[in-house]
Amino acid sequence: MRTYEVLFILSPQVPEEESAALITDFKRVAEGTGAKLTNEESWGRRRLAYTIQKFTEGNYHLFVFDSDSSLSELDRRMRNSDRILRHMIVRTDPDHKRAEKLAKRNPKKERVRPSPAFPAAAEPAAPEPETPAGE
Amino acid sequence: MATTHQRRPSSGGQGDRGPAGAQAGKKKFFYRRKRVCKFCVEKIEYIDFKDVKTLQQFIPERGKILPRRISGTCALHQRKLQNAIKRARIAAMLPFATD
Repeated sequence: MRTYEVLFILSPQVPEEESAALITDFKRVAEGTGAKLTNEESWGRRRLAYTIQKFTEGNYHLFVFDSDSSLSELDRRMRNSDRILRHMIVRTDPDHKRAEKLAKRNPKKERVRPSPAFPAAAEPAAPEPETPAGE
Repeated sequence: MATTHQRRPSSGGQGDRGPAGAQAGKKKFFYRRKRVCKFCVEKIEYIDFKDVKTLQQFIPERGKILPRRISGTCALHQRKLQNAIKRARIAAMLPFATD
């Protein structure tokens, strides 16, 4: 079983009803090829980092599918649709698997080192590092 | 000890510069904070391309990817970070370049 993340940007000119119809349509296409929707997110209207087809904004939408086959049919449909500014299909399960493996291996190492020194200090440090972004 | 005390006044008005000169005479020494990989510290194993906030910390003003020698990210995480940033760029969540 593979996991795919499908992120696409709908044109801001598309009215809400039509975009809802498009989204359900895409879902149906993917489910028709044996994919199972596990997560769906709508991020709403966001600024684009650069202009795409002279648009500076777009409606972001994300699907997460579990599938045994590739999502080539969905890919083809999205490419042909002029309502979609950009779409991206990324397979994420190999990376997640590797991350899990590392997570299993690492806690042992980490417990040996910093736990006596700063068990509490590690947590307040986490939300802080937003400062280097401004530099 | 005694000789050094005698020499300093003999060099005249440079008494104040003495310590500064001594530092310059030594090999150049920069205090460098020990850089650690942010992802190792926070135990983030999977770097998500949708997580723009963390990715932005590694994007300086110009929009380029911050090199490892500056950010201190370990090789493994830099590689994953690089992939995540490139994906985020395709999704127009990060710029390719800004000027």
